[in-house]
Amino acid sequence: MLLLAACDKGPTKSSAPAATVAAKASTGGDTFGAGVTLPDTVAIDKLLADPNAFKGQTVRVEGMITDVCPKRGCWFELAGAQPGQKLKFKVTDGEMVFPMDAKGKWAVAQGQVSVRELSLEQSREYAEYQAKEYHMPYDPASITQPTLLVQLDGTGAQIRDRK
Amino acid sequence: MSRSWRHWFRVLHRDIGYIAVALTIAYALSGLAVNHIDDWNPNYKFASSSFDLGPIPDGPLDARAAHVVATLGIDRAIVRGHFQETEHELRVFMVEGQEARLDLRTGKGTLKTLSTRPVLFEVNALHLNNLKGVWTYVADVFAVALMFLAITGMTMMKGNRGLAGRGKYFVGAGLLIPLGFILYMYS
Repeated sequence: MLLLAACDKGPTKSSAPAATVAAKASTGGDTFGAGVTLPDTVAIDKLLADPNAFKGQTVRVEGMITDVCPKRGCWFELAGAQPGQKLKFKVTDGEMVFPMDAKGKWAVAQGQVSVRELSLEQSREYAEYQAKEYHMPYDPASITQPTLLVQLDGTGAQIRDRK
Repeated sequence: MSRSWRHWFRVLHRDIGYIAVALTIAYALSGLAVNHIDDWNPNYKFASSSFDLGPIPDGPLDARAAHVVATLGIDRAIVRGHFQETEHELRVFMVEGQEARLDLRTGKGTLKTLSTRPVLFEVNALHLNNLKGVWTYVADVFAVALMFLAITGMTMMKGNRGLAGRGKYFVGAGLLIPLGFILYMYS
């Protein structure tokens, strides 16, 4: 399962209000966008195990940030419980800007679950685009199955130093 | 004696122009930087160095990460956490975006560091309105001021050197350049 997104492929539907500057939240972290309002967290591994069950739902997730969009700060990835397991949290460019030094910090994020099934050809095109965009090696032969793109179309997040 | 509208345009153009100098240069600088975002990162500088720790002893992931941190001589206080990217690849995250990434089988990896580009990071934050909030209104006022400067700028000169003279051709030429690109975009 490959997880989505490039900077120019923001969520097509977002209920995010005008973003706010990262403000100090009461929890001691920085708040982005509309912040987090849902009380209960959905485990990332549970969400990724059956993403269609959550498709279209607004959920709250949390985890350690493993990567941040290096160009526009328009997405970050959260670590799941399993090795290599990550969920992308994507916002429309400029609505929220996540700092690159957030890697390793703890994020609580809220957004709508987006699931897109790509054909094999689309999967290769997408992988090629991602590789080009982020200067990563690309081997078309490595894409052997259609890709399921799962991400949160983000409305708000809180980022703090530790869990 | 009453002053002409041209006089007041000149006064306002001059003084608002002074006020706008700093932000105009800042925005122009940022514009140059972000125009080429596909070729470089206008906000951050990256550096990396290689290391070879030898095979990392087997054990729980936490212990293996601790071994990496200790062997690399990293102060534990700056370590934020670690993540197993693949079966054999470990990533250790530190403050300020630093990261050690290595193959657990060989112990070979890279230490990446990150730093913001002085001046550019700040002017980009202003130009792209990353700050939001009150800055949005400051930027709005600045945008209106630029429009005012552009309009009043056309009235500075009278006669052959003014808008009614050769000025209109220059204004037209300035309009044709973006117009040409827009037509090309839709062709």
